[in-house]
Amino acid sequence: MGRTALTLDGLSVDFEGFRAVNQVTMTIDDGELRVLLGANGAGKTTLMDLISGKTKSTSGRVFLHDTDITNWEEHKIARAGVGRKFQIPSIFKELTVRRNLEVASCRNPGVFANLRFGFSAEAERNVDEVLELIGLTEQANQVAAYLSHGQTQWLELGLLITQNPKIILLDEPTAGMTQAETHKTSLIVNNLKGRHTIVVVEHDMAFVREIAERITVLHLGQVIAEGNVEQIETDPKVREAYLGSKGIS
Amino acid sequence: MPSKRVIDWAVYAAFVIIIMTAPLVMEPFWLNRVAKYLVYGMLGIAVALSWGYAGILNLGQGLFFGAGAYMLAMSLKLASTTSLQQGSDRPVPDFMLWNAEPGSPTELCCINKASFLWLPFQSQWFGVAMGLILPVAIATILGMIVFRKRISGVFVSIITLAVVLLVRLVVIDSQPVTNGFNGLTDLGWFKVGGLEFDPFVVETYYLVAVSLSLVLVGARLLIFTRAGLILQAVRDDQNRARYLGFNVPAYQTFFFAVSAAIAGFAGMLYVVVSEFASPTFMDLTFSITMVVWAAVGGRSSILGACIGAIIINVLSATVSETEGFAEAWKAIIGLIFVLVVLYLPRGIAGLAHDFVDRIVTRRSAPSSHPLRVSDPSSQLAE
Amino acid sequence: MLEVLFIGLSLGSILLLVALGLAITYGAMGVINMAHGEMVMVGAYVTVLSGIWLGTNIFVAIPLAFIVTALLGLLIERVVVRRLYGRLLDTLLATWGIAILIQQAVRLEFGLSFLGIHIQGLGPGLQNVSVPAILQGTFSIAGADINRYRSFIIMVTAILALATWFIIYRTSIGTQVRAIIRNPKMAAACGIDVTRVNALTFAFGSGLAGVAGVMMSGFKTVFPDMGTPMVVDGFLVVVMGGVGSLLGSVLSAGILGEINGLVAAATNDILARAVVFGVVIAIIVLKPKGLFALKGR
Repeated sequence: MGRTALTLDGLSVDFEGFRAVNQVTMTIDDGELRVLLGANGAGKTTLMDLISGKTKSTSGRVFLHDTDITNWEEHKIARAGVGRKFQIPSIFKELTVRRNLEVASCRNPGVFANLRFGFSAEAERNVDEVLELIGLTEQANQVAAYLSHGQTQWLELGLLITQNPKIILLDEPTAGMTQAETHKTSLIVNNLKGRHTIVVVEHDMAFVREIAERITVLHLGQVIAEGNVEQIETDPKVREAYLGSKGIS
Repeated sequence: MPSKRVIDWAVYAAFVIIIMTAPLVMEPFWLNRVAKYLVYGMLGIAVALSWGYAGILNLGQGLFFGAGAYMLAMSLKLASTTSLQQGSDRPVPDFMLWNAEPGSPTELCCINKASFLWLPFQSQWFGVAMGLILPVAIATILGMIVFRKRISGVFVSIITLAVVLLVRLVVIDSQPVTNGFNGLTDLGWFKVGGLEFDPFVVETYYLVAVSLSLVLVGARLLIFTRAGLILQAVRDDQNRARYLGFNVPAYQTFFFAVSAAIAGFAGMLYVVVSEFASPTFMDLTFSITMVVWAAVGGRSSILGACIGAIIINVLSATVSETEGFAEAWKAIIGLIFVLVVLYLPRGIAGLAHDFVDRIVTRRSAPSSHPLRVSDPSSQLAE
Repeated sequence: MLEVLFIGLSLGSILLLVALGLAITYGAMGVINMAHGEMVMVGAYVTVLSGIWLGTNIFVAIPLAFIVTALLGLLIERVVVRRLYGRLLDTLLATWGIAILIQQAVRLEFGLSFLGIHIQGLGPGLQNVSVPAILQGTFSIAGADINRYRSFIIMVTAILALATWFIIYRTSIGTQVRAIIRNPKMAAACGIDVTRVNALTFAFGSGLAGVAGVMMSGFKTVFPDMGTPMVVDGFLVVVMGGVGSLLGSVLSAGILGEINGLVAAATNDILARAVVFGVVIAIIVLKPKGLFALKGR
């Protein structure tokens, strides 16, 4: 087995009495692709917020390999190796596609370190590869604001790939996509498997089936099941959470 | 067909050549005036950097302008002959003498409660250094407070507005130290080595023109750096930048401070050219007017904002010569500003950009030069 | 001491008078109206002109100014502001441009000064309004000398504030305005004519500014530039009070007025204003949403 990439230990967050995430404990191995499933409000996005620093937890710890990154500032967590893709795709609208990726390729994020011109040939090659991977080579010099929704999602994925974090958090990467676009996204994500540790929040079961290895199911902020697709589909607790104890009748 | 980058630099070069050769064709009377407008051009650059590139609409840029101005003015005041009226060879500003309590010692250290603050300004270079340091210090402190707290765009602008007004009032109220409403007048000339910069000689014009050129090129290069690119990314989507690992407040504060330094530099040059510093530098109207210049010229264009500022003021001056058209001109500028905000957010530079874009991509008739370099309004910059 | 407190109250009421209209346009429409100060100025000029040309006094000028500035507001909303919804900073800039236009219109007497025609009561110079005898002088309360005109201003402000409160909280159109404050898209989905209500809101806010101008003309000299400092003050009051909160504006006007009065009594007017700015800055930095933030997430 590989090392443990991400460890959550009793992670919880309280929003004025409402426990959005309740004592979540999980370990994700290096190179693994973990899918987080759950109904709306189950706490999946909140969990991602906690890991990436967007929300501060009220108890519990988050470990990136062996480093405790609990409640660090977002950019420090990002620097430590956590990359996040948002539900509503966010990219740099006024910059061209290529420039977007160049920004992500900055290895040293400090102001003074970047008072230099241009990017190394290696970085540019990397950008070219990523453009290839996400299928936006032709749009490289187009201003990002003019991309379609699907293309914007892929660009954001491209930003993450360029950032090359140890862990990639994907929050509903196929939201708003057509079937064809969803399939293309699954190809991209599958391409990343092994080289990165990926945590995906998703609804679309077709997409999930195409990419999933291990699935964690959340319900009301707690982990209720873990396993592969088959195990999850037949797990009684999952059925109850989704379908009610009487099942479909 | 030259690339966009080449055209860009060509236009910058053309601009520099124009301002450097202007004295050859201008009447000496205009030299001093145009020098003032070049200073305004520098302010345009400061606004473009802060607003267009960093996304920070500073409605109180006059604060940094005024800070720089007052620092140098204090030194120049002490260097003036009017500060030696009391007989001794150690200077004391005349207004302090006039306002002193009867019986106070006529020494800079102790003529009034705060006059000692003037002591180090006996060195002109201290004033020059402070003219850059003070604006940068204020900007850095302000920036760290405001940007760390992730205060959003509008509120940042409101805070800058309130801060400049606050400082203006404090300066006015501190009569014994700043001469209040009257400001600092009767200043000595700025000296470098044996050279004295009389506001009306051509050397002073060149001082301003060279400074402007350096700032122009410097700002442009700064934007070309990776940091400049990251800054624009921060402007476009702060959060995305944050999650890519960038310390967003650090970038914002840095460029805010650079913008302040440029404004402070402009303030010092203005003092050399106009021989006074006054609280009017910190009027709200002036600060917002700078924004108007940059908006019309092109807020995301360093050269555009610069030229916008210069041209608006040149036109203003020309128009004021004729009858009472000055007021009508103000109304016209107001109207143009409204139209620019509504329909032309990238300003005139944006238009020029699009024009060149169309030509470069169309790769049309090779004989026609895409840009008439002698026409200052068809400039282009990124 | 009572006199000092009264002055503070009076200063607060003047702040509120100007801020009331701004609070509504900013809170309801998300528009930063830099031309609001010019509305005040227009109201003042209406008083001047109606005094000269119609021979009327301040009391008549109040409804007159309200109508004039409300119509002007309607015009501005339709022509400019309407195109800028959602672009907050752009509304600030565009309305600043409009403010310049209005100022110059008054200075240039609507262009007539080019033709050599001068309208008495307009132009770049200073104008004055005489206050009816009933409002002049002072009266005594508990041994303190209270200025009649200042009391009049406080009274008018209170009436306007109450009227505004009543309209916003007790009428159906007020409910529509409040719905739009919370969520304009949902309000539109519920069948509220957002465009029309916004226009009326802007007009109402401008009308209030006009009345403020009438009040100002009674004790300040009237000149084309008089609006700018007022819009800044008004705006800071609104931001400090919290966007969308009428109560917030009332309270912050009161607090700032009293601070101004107290500091001015202890030191001087200039320093007092500086302190007020300082307080507002501190509050915005510490609580950017204002003291009584109401607007959604």
